[in-house]
Amino acid sequence: MNNIVSVSSISKKYQLPSTKKEEQHSYFQNIFNKRKSEEYWAVKDISFTINKGDKLGIIGNNGAGKSTLLKILSKITKPTSGLVHIQGKVASLLEVGTGFHPELSGRDNIYLNGAILGMTKKQITQQFDEIVEFAGDQIIKFLDTPVKRYSSGMYVRLGFAISAHLDPDILIVDEVLAVGDADFQKKSLGKMKEVASKDKTILFVSHNLTAVANLCNKTLHLETGYVKQFGETGKVLNNYLSAMQNNLLEQSFNQINLAPGNDLVKLKYAKLTPSLIGNQLIADVRSSLKIDLEFWNLLDNQNLNISLHIYASTGECIFNVGTVPEILNKGVVQASLTIPSYFLNDGNYLVSFMVVKDKSIVLFNFEEVFNFEIADYREETTWYGKWPGYVRPKFDFPIQQVSLKI
Amino acid sequence: MAFLNFFNYQVSNSLELFFILSKRDISVRFKQTALGMIWAIIRPITTMFVFLFAYKNVTTITNISGYPIQIVIYSGILFWNLFANSFQSVSNSILLSSNLISKVYFPRIIILFSAVSVSLIDFIFGLCVYFILAFYFKIDVSFNLILLPVVVLITLFLSIGLGAIFASFSVKKRDFLQIIPIIVQYGFFVTPIVYTSIEFYLKPWFKIYTFINPLVGLVEFFRFTLIDGYYVLSPTYILISVFSSISIFLVGLLIFQFKKDTFVDYL
Repeated sequence: MNNIVSVSSISKKYQLPSTKKEEQHSYFQNIFNKRKSEEYWAVKDISFTINKGDKLGIIGNNGAGKSTLLKILSKITKPTSGLVHIQGKVASLLEVGTGFHPELSGRDNIYLNGAILGMTKKQITQQFDEIVEFAGDQIIKFLDTPVKRYSSGMYVRLGFAISAHLDPDILIVDEVLAVGDADFQKKSLGKMKEVASKDKTILFVSHNLTAVANLCNKTLHLETGYVKQFGETGKVLNNYLSAMQNNLLEQSFNQINLAPGNDLVKLKYAKLTPSLIGNQLIADVRSSLKIDLEFWNLLDNQNLNISLHIYASTGECIFNVGTVPEILNKGVVQASLTIPSYFLNDGNYLVSFMVVKDKSIVLFNFEEVFNFEIADYREETTWYGKWPGYVRPKFDFPIQQVSLKI
Repeated sequence: MAFLNFFNYQVSNSLELFFILSKRDISVRFKQTALGMIWAIIRPITTMFVFLFAYKNVTTITNISGYPIQIVIYSGILFWNLFANSFQSVSNSILLSSNLISKVYFPRIIILFSAVSVSLIDFIFGLCVYFILAFYFKIDVSFNLILLPVVVLITLFLSIGLGAIFASFSVKKRDFLQIIPIIVQYGFFVTPIVYTSIEFYLKPWFKIYTFINPLVGLVEFFRFTLIDGYYVLSPTYILISVFSSISIFLVGLLIFQFKKDTFVDYL
């Protein structure tokens, strides 16, 4: 049997308390009446097998069931039905620094955390110096200081250093690599590659398709709890990307009475078109984005302009851009905007726009007209952490040697 | 053989984790305190003085046991604190380590067992004070002392078993946490802690009572091992309590074993 991990039709059900207001009468009724709850399948009927030495990437949108699957595989929770068979020792980098006690020193915490993660005292002692060295020079000075005095960076580095020395047969990695500074990320990724080359099995969950493509030979694509695809990374990623492309970012209304808006303005047409280079399938940081908008103006002789907002998925407004005001008459009004390439960073964004009269009176706010995603793209890099920031400009930033003297 | 090796590995790993978690709790216990371990002694001593005050000045209860009342009260409190503290910390242990349970897998049962470590250390400190007290009141130490570890172990089993039941149920419904202080507060008075069972062991319901409240038999067993010549309850009663304690221990572990896999979903 070569299958180091075999999963056969596992499902996990959660009971969510009913969200319907009218069912929650009073405090006492909740005790005596069985509260109605809704079932929610976080993962449903998932089956796959991987062999020793496989590196499996797990991809999917938020809520696709990636974390639940990892929790089941690392035995933290049991599936509602189905069987998981795993051969060998599993270690998970789900959460770095789990089980650290703030009052204990760095030294004590290495032993504590190591034991929690399944290392024996002997193993920890053997690797103690290596762990400390991996965590960085700063830690050495603070080895006998309670970790509550550590900076958050030191905390994470120490946590990762311990996890990185677990030496399991199967390593489960969530997106912990996205923490720490660039230098530390490089170290972490190097460690992961080192583990990978030692014929270890890795399960790697990431939003970062570039990292998955580089590290994993197999990929599991989850969608709303189901297996969408499972197989060779190249094939799965291609299908995944082309499926994403099919989400047409276009809204068009032919009948004015069905269109969103009010009795002053109504949306007629909106389209977002990313420019795609070569064999590129979805918008990434290299793409420019063209936004075309059309609306019905229902009143004559109006001084109108459009004000467009782009929001990050966290709700923060990235920017607001407006057209110049124009005197417009009853009929269809059109506007278009191009967001240049290398402007927005990878991530999810929302577009809203409002039609404004006399520069100050909002006639209507069309909210969430588009919800789009920009993928990451990097060339010749060894670092796959999340690129920080909302914008990703490509400014001219020359560097040169000016002298050979020190 | 491979299976056996794996099993051995599991057990030794679990033991190591048990010791390191216990060590964590003990070393954290008195961090940033000036008096440190002395606090472990202050509590039982103050309780003893409070009851001495009550007996001398407020009530007219006479001590019919024939042993110095200080010794009766202090040994009772020593026993009670061991039970109550370990029971409380076992009951809360699962919720308190929710961040561990929801992120790492290890045998969950280790948490229950390591939760009693702090109470045990406190108990040992309190025991030292008992011997000073015994010396002062000229109470001898008999050979029965070798049975002391047995009583302590059974008491810990009882607290782990009872605690396991509360820990298991409180994960889903926090109502169970509200019952714990009630047990600890009123249990103190319905158990012969600041009195002895001489006062009521002839009552017709006493035999059943030693089964329902195994602490009755255990505390008298405990005093029997500490106080020379202390012989209040016959072995039958004590054995009933011991039997009851072990049953609760087993039932508690069974419930825990049955419930442990769903903890993460409710934490």
